[in-house]
Amino acid sequence: WSWGGRKGQGLNLARKNEEEKKERETEELKKEVVMDDHKLTLEELSTKYSVNLTTGHSHQRAKEILIQDGPNTLTRPPTTPEWVKFCKQLFGGFSLLLWTGAILCFVAHGIQIYFHEEPAKDNLYLSVVLAVVVVITSCLSYYQEAKSSKIMESFKDMVPQQALVIREGEKTQINVQDVGLGDLVEIKGGDRIPADLRLISARGCKVDNSSLTGESAPQSRSTDFTHENPLETRNIGFFSTDCVEGKYRTISNLDMAVAQTPLFGVSSSREPKLFLWQCMEGVCLALTTKRMARKNCLAKDLEAVETLGSTSIICLDKTGTFTQNCMTVAHMWFDLRENDESRQRKTFANNSDTWFILAQISGLCNRADFKPNQETLPSAKRATTGDASESALLKFIEQSYSSVAEMRKKNPTVAEIPFNSTNEYQMSIHFREDSSQTHVLMMKGAPERILEFCSTFLLHGQEYSMDNELKEAFQNACLELGGLGERVLGFCFLNLPSSFSKGFPFNTDEINFPMDNLCFVGLVSMIDPPQTTVPDAVNRCRSAEIKVIMVTGDHPITAKAIAKRVGIISENTETAEDIAARLRIPVSKVNPSDAKAIVHGSELKDLHSEQLDQILRNHAEIVFARTSPQQKLIIVEGCQRLGAIVAVTGDGVNNSPALKKADIVIAMGISGSDVSKQAADMILLDDNFASIVTGVEEGHLIFDNLKKSIMYTLTSNIPEIAPFLLFVVLGIPLPLGIITILCIDLGTDMVPAISLAYESAESDIMKRRPRNPKMDKLVNHRLIAMAYGQIGMIQAVAGFFTYFVIMAENGFRPIDLLGICLYWEDKFLNDLEDSYGQQWTYERRKVVEFTCQTAFCVTIVLVQWAHLIVSKTCRNSVFQQGVRYKILIFAILEETFLAAFPSYTPGTDVALRMYPLKISWWFCAIPYSILIFVYDEIRKLLIRQRPGGKASLGPAPTEWSPAP
Amino acid sequence: MTKDEKSLNQCLAEWKLFIYNLTTGEFLGRTAKSWGLILLFYLVFYGFLAALFSFTTWVMLHTLNDEVPKYRDHISSPGLTVFPKPVTALEYTFSMSDPTSYAGYIADLKKFLKPYTLEEQKNLTTCPDGALFEQEGPVYVACQFPLLLLQACSDMSDPGFGYSKGKPCIRVKMNRIIGLKPEGVPWIDCVLKNEDQTNITTYPYDGITDLKYFPYYGTKLHVGYLQPSVAVQVTLAPNSAEKEVTAEYEIDGSPKLKSQDDRDKFLGQVMFKITAHA
Repeated sequence: WSWGGRKGQGLNLARKNEEEKKERETEELKKEVVMDDHKLTLEELSTKYSVNLTTGHSHQRAKEILIQDGPNTLTRPPTTPEWVKFCKQLFGGFSLLLWTGAILCFVAHGIQIYFHEEPAKDNLYLSVVLAVVVVITSCLSYYQEAKSSKIMESFKDMVPQQALVIREGEKTQINVQDVGLGDLVEIKGGDRIPADLRLISARGCKVDNSSLTGESAPQSRSTDFTHENPLETRNIGFFSTDCVEGKYRTISNLDMAVAQTPLFGVSSSREPKLFLWQCMEGVCLALTTKRMARKNCLAKDLEAVETLGSTSIICLDKTGTFTQNCMTVAHMWFDLRENDESRQRKTFANNSDTWFILAQISGLCNRADFKPNQETLPSAKRATTGDASESALLKFIEQSYSSVAEMRKKNPTVAEIPFNSTNEYQMSIHFREDSSQTHVLMMKGAPERILEFCSTFLLHGQEYSMDNELKEAFQNACLELGGLGERVLGFCFLNLPSSFSKGFPFNTDEINFPMDNLCFVGLVSMIDPPQTTVPDAVNRCRSAEIKVIMVTGDHPITAKAIAKRVGIISENTETAEDIAARLRIPVSKVNPSDAKAIVHGSELKDLHSEQLDQILRNHAEIVFARTSPQQKLIIVEGCQRLGAIVAVTGDGVNNSPALKKADIVIAMGISGSDVSKQAADMILLDDNFASIVTGVEEGHLIFDNLKKSIMYTLTSNIPEIAPFLLFVVLGIPLPLGIITILCIDLGTDMVPAISLAYESAESDIMKRRPRNPKMDKLVNHRLIAMAYGQIGMIQAVAGFFTYFVIMAENGFRPIDLLGICLYWEDKFLNDLEDSYGQQWTYERRKVVEFTCQTAFCVTIVLVQWAHLIVSKTCRNSVFQQGVRYKILIFAILEETFLAAFPSYTPGTDVALRMYPLKISWWFCAIPYSILIFVYDEIRKLLIRQRPGGKASLGPAPTEWSPAP
Repeated sequence: MTKDEKSLNQCLAEWKLFIYNLTTGEFLGRTAKSWGLILLFYLVFYGFLAALFSFTTWVMLHTLNDEVPKYRDHISSPGLTVFPKPVTALEYTFSMSDPTSYAGYIADLKKFLKPYTLEEQKNLTTCPDGALFEQEGPVYVACQFPLLLLQACSDMSDPGFGYSKGKPCIRVKMNRIIGLKPEGVPWIDCVLKNEDQTNITTYPYDGITDLKYFPYYGTKLHVGYLQPSVAVQVTLAPNSAEKEVTAEYEIDGSPKLKSQDDRDKFLGQVMFKITAHA
């Protein structure tokens, strides 16, 4: 406030008030959180919020609470009032310049009134026109901005966070803002915590409080009350923090006001650009985002679209992106033989005891559940909560064994270790009433990992000790199923000794029960069939020279199978292993550039960065298998070292390091976790890889279209400047005045330039290389040369031709015009002779001059017609490109109208000094329009024949590859 | 500081490299061949553009009539101008006792009257008075404009055009417009602002311009055409030391010829000021 004191008294007071208010607010924020929920026992909690801790609120009660307390959201940061935004448009940047012009004109008029009795009113009119132009254009741009910010707003609403609450005993997905006080909420790894929560049960739960505390290490959470301070105690989870792993059930706790996370609006400090360009850019981006949203591709950030356009490597996670994300059980392997689920559904089932146990494990050691209220649907079609493979198992068991819900009711879970990528297994302990051994431990997970736990195996319901024969059979089965690209899960179990009686406190953090010598039951393999659109999309990426790298946690063989299915590894290529097998040489001797790389995660750990670079550079088709999140990061960094722009798809928390490093993050709308959606720059609503390609296409397109728009508007600079130059150099009457220049810049050029943003993609858009953002500027020297040196020149010459035609037809032949301007501009020389001996007063010849200026303006409009038509494409002929004439014709009509209207409307000759033109003068520009058209078509023909040659405006191939 | 200097040196080195790169032989970022090609391209391009411009202009010039401009709608009505043309605006300032102060005006007038001398007018036709002198061609003749019409303001009666006597002559003429055919009897009407002090005489009488000087057929056809004009002699009151007269003239007597225009102060009207010192 240091400068406040120098202002007047009143201002000081106002400031003081403001300060006081600020202080009060800060004081409020400083207050410690007063709450005692964390100290209460579960019973006390239950009474406090009058909620049953197993079934939750009734729907009725939840509704009442919601009405009483309002939605569960943070107060939004104060937004700029609309009128301030409007004023910014009205008085910012280029508008200010125009205002200055208007005021100067007005002042000049005032001076004229003072000195002359009857001044010409030109200046007054000009100032009025300028003011009107500013107001109209700022209205337009305000409208535009309002529209695009509305789109941005709608994004916020389009990605609603979901919370899984338990009401009337049923798990329901609801929007976060509908979570009410005292609701039971279930959270699992990857979720964002939907409210301030008190934990009532937790299994291996960890939260990332970094958004609140800045502490990045995940903190474990349990139901225990560990600290007086609610911020420190373990049994509270905070709104908008992330649950990293684990699963817990909580009670929501909205009445505590934890330090409000200050949410500042991100102010975009854009360089002040020319008004028109700003306008164009806004329109282009807004249009693109809208268009992409229609294609199930949500760009959160306008820049994301552009970045995606320059993407040269896409790192893909297999899961969810390529596949239909609907896992189905394909094979089972037990009793030492394989059972094809699809063919033998009836036969295998009921005749083996192993099958019963396998089914039990599948159903019980499984966290997926059917969503409520869909009992009438067949189980295959019911929506589920939980992980895809678990859901697949759930549906499978429900179909071919018995009701899972019943099974779970009989055998409630007493302890659980959820699946995570380091464990690679999931374990649960269930209570059994009907047996002497009251507890059974069930486990499923990665087959190798499961086998490590086992010392016996089950054959036809009998336990046998593990032998090499089984191990070999197991390996073969794993390889075979994995080779089909299927996800294999191993299952095992252990009947816990009867010493673990009912009510035994199982602790999964410090394990107090046996977890070895388990009994191996079998394997179940699932497949997520690839989406039909993926192979085509991969091909399109490849033709756009975008490297598609598959990075997956799967087994190399699975990865290879999937990669082959979707075309990431092409049909007739071989991996190093294949070549080694064919040539019967060791893998190490295979020339790496011959083979397509499949890199195992464990190898990756030992690679130097140079070696990784080598792999990334030498192989066109790369698959990284069995990668850990850290390795994903290494891969992304490696790609970036090569100068590539990397897009990463990711679901789940485990990817976050790689996601943070990536240039653009793409999340899956359906399967993706909240965390990944939050981190993403782009969300694929349909989880389909093909949508990424759409995004890339749009990214290319927006760059193209912006380039076209800029090219279009740049060009008319030459015919705007050249008249003044020739006026000075040749001494001819001024061919283009200020008003007509303004008419072109602010009037006629505007809509056509914007219409180019509506341009659809050229057919070869995906055959172009990705843009190198360092080298390929929006405006490069070729574009300048083309706009200024070539098209602009043609336009200027066209304008001068029209000018000379009008002058000559009115009596001033071109040769006589040279050097005439000294006399022409003399107000008191009222008998200036033309080429025919007629004598002109100053005013009369000025009328001719202004008529010429009007015609010059119209001529620019007419040659810009041709330019607009040729600008539609960068490389394709206008005839090849399917034409969307609607907007084009509108733009052409609009610009023509804007030029013709002031020319022919009575009265504008006084106000704007634009005069009606004879019909024949409209045709002067035609030869030059044709020239522009033909010239550009020839240029494009050359580009198509010699791609990347001198004629193109786009990135040349030599410019892309990183310097050696 | 050293860092800055270093970066400055680097900058210079980079610039030098940009201007001429010895290793690649690049001059300003391009090799000689590249420069040659680009120059050739622009030479051809601009050559073609110039050719197209010349061609279209040539075609346009061929559509023009040598004798009459295609459109005459921008000068439908003539302007009025005065002669000699004063140096600044339309204000004549001179001193009767100082001949150099009006020598310029006299020289101007003499130059203007040169085509009106008897020898020059010898070959011109004597046309019938009071009617339009329309001609069919192919040879167009010009009418005589006897200087005697201007009486006191012709140089025959007074080579000094009255400046030394405080009776300066100003010529007012109607602008030439091809094909202009006035109706009625056009005359140039004088409106003196301060009439009481001065006396004004118009030659020929009442400022009438004879219709026989219309229509005009343009420089090419109408060789030797003499533009009719009206002489105005202002007689400043002899007693006061410094006199100032503002005079306004406008065309009258012919409805076709406009003498009122908001913007064009010289359309059929002219206003000038004479300031004479003793």
